[in-house]
Parts: sequence; C-alpha cells; structure tokens
Amino acid sequence: MTVIRLGGYSIRLRHRVLAAVLGSLAALVALAMWSAATGSTSLGLERVWYALIGQGTKGDEFILWTLRLPRLATGLAVGACMGLAGALFQTLTRNPLGSPDLLGLTQGATTGALIAIIVTGASLQTTAVLAAAGSLATGLLIWALTRGGDPSGYRLVLVGIGVSAILAGVNGYLLTRTTIVDAFRAVYWFTGDLSGRDFTQAAAVGTVLAAGVLVIALLSRGLDSLRLGEAAATGLGVHVGATRVTALVTASILTAGAVAVAGPLAFVALAAPHISARLTGSSRSFTVSAVVGALIVTAADMIAVAGVGDRQLPTGVVTGVVGGAYLIWLLIAHRKKGVMS
Amino acid sequence: MTASPLAAREATLGYGRNVISADLTVDIPEGEFTVIMGPNACGKSTLLKALARMLKPSHGTVLLDGKDIHHQPTRAVARRLGLLPQSPTAPDGITVADLVARGRYPHQGILRQWSAEDERVTGEAMEATDIADLASRGVDELSGGQRQRVWIAMVLAQQTPLLLLDEPTTYLDITHQIEVLELCAKLHREGRTLVAVLHDLNQAARYATHLIAMRGGAVVAEGAPADIVTAETVREVFDLPCRIIDDPESGTPLVIPSARARNLV
Ligand SMILES: Nc1ncnc2c1ncn2[C@@H]1O[C@H](COP(=O)(O)OP(=O)(O)OP(=O)(O)O)[C@@H](O)[C@H]1O
Ligand SMILES: [Mg+2]
Repeated sequence: MTVIRLGGYSIRLRHRVLAAVLGSLAALVALAMWSAATGSTSLGLERVWYALIGQGTKGDEFILWTLRLPRLATGLAVGACMGLAGALFQTLTRNPLGSPDLLGLTQGATTGALIAIIVTGASLQTTAVLAAAGSLATGLLIWALTRGGDPSGYRLVLVGIGVSAILAGVNGYLLTRTTIVDAFRAVYWFTGDLSGRDFTQAAAVGTVLAAGVLVIALLSRGLDSLRLGEAAATGLGVHVGATRVTALVTASILTAGAVAVAGPLAFVALAAPHISARLTGSSRSFTVSAVVGALIVTAADMIAVAGVGDRQLPTGVVTGVVGGAYLIWLLIAHRKKGVMS
Repeated sequence: MTASPLAAREATLGYGRNVISADLTVDIPEGEFTVIMGPNACGKSTLLKALARMLKPSHGTVLLDGKDIHHQPTRAVARRLGLLPQSPTAPDGITVADLVARGRYPHQGILRQWSAEDERVTGEAMEATDIADLASRGVDELSGGQRQRVWIAMVLAQQTPLLLLDEPTTYLDITHQIEVLELCAKLHREGRTLVAVLHDLNQAARYATHLIAMRGGAVVAEGAPADIVTAETVREVFDLPCRIIDDPESGTPLVIPSARARNLV
C-alpha cells in the first residue's frame, strides 16, 4: 500500500495500481510523441519540437498544427471517453461484456447518423449531433426500461441486448432507404474514423471528457462500494439509486461525445477496462481505463495512417480487428481458468 | 423501558404485494445486546433490512433517534448504524484489507480518502476479528468462516454506535462462533447497541440481554432471556417440544429438544 498525504488530501493506493497509472501514462506520452513525429512525412522529434514552439519551417508547422495534432488530440480524448464509458458500463452491469456496443448505444448512434445522412446528405455537424442524440436517447431508454427492477445488472444487459436488436433492425431498414452514395457514407461512418478532424472537434470531445472525469471523480468511491452489492453499499451510506442513474447517464454522454466525433470505434470501450484490470491486478481503476483507451485509439490510428500498401485505413477497421482478437483471447484465457463458462 | 435509538412504528414490511409483517412495532433498547430469533422465513432479515433503511415500509415508519430514518442523510445514518447483510457478495479479486477499508466510506470525503484514523481503525477491526494475517489475501480465496469474519471487520471499521448483524455466526466453526459472540459481548460492554439474528437458542440465551422472538412476521415474545426462553415460548415459536434446564456454565436457560421431537418427523 502507498498512502499519499498532501495537506488535507489523502489517498490510499495499491503499489500495483500506482505503477499501472504511472506506467500507462508514460507509455501514452511516448506514443503521442512518436505519433506526432511519424506519418507519411517523418519529422523526427527535433523538428516536431521546433514546430511546436513556433520556430519550425512553414511546412513542418502546417503538418504538425493542422494535420497531426488535431487528429492526435481527438484520438486521445475519444479513446479516454470510451475507456471511461466502458469501465462505467462494466461496473453498472457487473458484467465483463458490458459496453456501449452490447447495450445498444452504438446502434442508437448509428440510427441518428443514418437519419442525418438521409435527411441532410451527411453534413458532418448534423451527423455528429444526431449520432450523439441517438446514443444518449438509447441510454435513457435503457434506464427507463430497467428502473425499479432487479438491480443485479442482468436486467440491464438483457434490456440492452433487446434494444440493440431492435435498433439494428431499424438501421437495416434505414439503409435500404438510402442512395448508393449515402449508403457508402453510412458504412464509412459506422466503421469509425479520425481522418481530417480539427481542433474544434478535439475541443468538443475534450469538454465531454473533462465533464465525465469530474463526475467520475465524485462518483468513483460510491461505485466501488456498489460492487459490494446493494445492501452493503446502502449500509455504508451510498445513494445507490442516484449513483446508478448518474453513472448510466455519464457513460451515455461519454459514449455520445466520442461516437459523434469519431464514429463507433469498435471494441475500445470493451477492451480498455479489461486491459486496465490486467495491469492493476483486478482492482478497477477508471484512470488506467481512460489512459488505456487513449493508448488503443492512438496506436490503432497510427496503424490506420500507415495503412495497407499506399492506402490509409479507417481507424475503426484497426480497432475492430485488434479488439476482436483481444476479445477472443480473453474468452479463451478465462475458459482455461474456469471463471467464465 | 429504556430510550430507543431505533424503532419500527406500525410498519408494514414486504416485497411488492407480498406483505411479510403488518403493523409491526419494535423498539431496540439503547445499550442492549438484542437477539432476534424465529424460524426460517419468519421475517427476521426483513425486519433488519427495514431497520437499516434497506427496505422502505409501505405503511408506518422506522425511527432513528426519534426521526424518520428515510428523511435523514444516508451518510449520516451510516455513521450511526452499520449492517452486516445475511449473504454479502465480495467483488472478484478484492483483498481482505481493501474490503475492510470500504467500511470507512461514510467517514471519508473526496479529498480525505485515507486518514491516519482510517488506518488505525481498520487495523483494530482486523485484529478484533482475528484476520490481520489475511490482510493481503484475496477474499474469494478464503474459507466461508474467514470470509464472514472479514465482513464483520468491515462493519466494525464503520465505527457505528448501532450494529445490526444478520446471522453473524453462520459458516463459523464452534470456536469462531463463540469468538464472534464474545466480540459482540465486548462491544456491548463498551456501550454499543447491538442487534443480531441468531439461530442457536442456547447462544442467544447466553449472550443476549434482550430477546425478540418472531413468528409469521409478528413479534410473539420480547424481554430478558430468562423470561423468554421457556418451554411454552419455544413450542409456540418453533413448534418444538423441549425441556429447559440451567446452563451449567452460565446459569442461563438451556434448551433441550425432547427426544419425541425426532420421532415426530
Ligand atoms: N428480496 C425478496 N423478494 C421477495 N420476497 C422476499 C425477499 N426476501 C425475502 N422474501 C420473503 O420474505 C419472507 C421472510 O424472509 P426473511 O428473509 O425475512 O426471513 P428470515 O426470517 O430472515 O429467514 P432465515 O432464517 O431463513 O434467514 C420469506 O417468505 C421470503 O421468501
Ligand atoms: Mg434471514
């Protein structure tokens, strides 16, 4: 155990958690620098530094400030949002598969985006707004449908799967109503991508992230106690109902923010909390989940930019492949230990 | 009767439409070690849940210090009253020290997350329940009895003047049962008010200073163990013919089920 005391502030952390926080942050900083320095034109750290402080060449500054940093910043914020949303959903459902994909928030966002694409012909802004609205509305719908029921989390998962199936049907129908061009745009959108993002979008997700971090900081100890079961948590003085609703709404907002800007990057929200749990030795850490989410998206985006041959890939293709492989590995590893059937 | 820090007033308790107790009035006397006994499914846990504000009465009220418990801030209540649920579940992978530390939740804040006081109190709670040497073990790799003592330590770490324990001796071997009861007796001597559900009538008679006997959701007898543990009450509450003798060790009533009782089955 490490106890940190600073004036009135005190916190107790396991060594392993502290090491995981510092280690993953260091890895993120290194990866971000590498990402800024490489790409179709390799700048190297020295030129990046000069461009960063405004003493580089015009060309270098353009590459860094217009092409790379906005994309990098967007990816970091989107990844962190998804890592946090995933950790919240898994805590709420008490289920290792709890994620925006499983609960239908992704499908809700896609419904919103499809409507935007059909009605407005895919203006980026409308798509983002309607996707966020779709994801949020789905979160609220799930909350309304599970209110007052069995609090174990199973109900949340089952209702989520049901809502998700319905929305998948709606989305399939909407796709049949599009032109071939719009259908292509839609498919591209729900693969998820970070290309061409600017600082406005980075700032939008950044704001959502900051708000989410604040709420989670207030909520996390209550959520930790909720893992002891409803009765024990109430006994400890946790507002069980309020904590649950706030967590669900926060997770939905974080998902909405991320999906609005980058599309539903598959599996990030699912994988981040699991990798985080491996690193911390199974205590849940929202911080590590967020950092791991940012790491996954940044790494995936670097691979996407490098592309196959001379074609870049949409970021979501890479997160999907990497995340899917990870999920299968997780299931196999758990089966060996006999934890999951 | 002494003042009552915790009481149910004409409370109707149940789950949905299924009423377990109607118009139940119970006073938990201050500074006593109250034991609730009664057959399975008679509503003991339900009463305890209601007293600990986990279950809201559909009619009537539960009073903590004379005021409706549901109208008081839940964290303030958690500093007055601690509950050990009947079958608590520990999250995967949590260590003993971490679980006991959760008991400090109502005393902590967003900034003050781990004070020297927290450290001391959790240490004492683990000493008292004889689990200090398990501190870094995972709760899911402990035996049922060890796990039960970890949960008791968590409730102790909450440092509440009122303690509600639902079957604290379940899963424990006879030595640890007595240890837990002796611990309860010690807490009682130190001035805390305890309420425990126990199934062993002889232990109840020996350790309780106040007994509440329940059947079918209602209180059928209440008072000092020497007055309550009689052959008539035991038959009335448990349908069990028995003889009562003096416990040679403590002088409290000792229930000896009649030999006939076995032949009846
Ligand atoms: N969560 C619940 N939902 C619905 N019914 C319940 C619930 N918990 C208990 N009951 C019912 O309420 C009745 C009283 O249960 P309670 O748990 O209070 O019994 P108890 O006296 O504690 O029994 P035991 O000695 O077995 O612990 C039982 O008939 C039980 O089926
Ligand atoms: Mg019970």
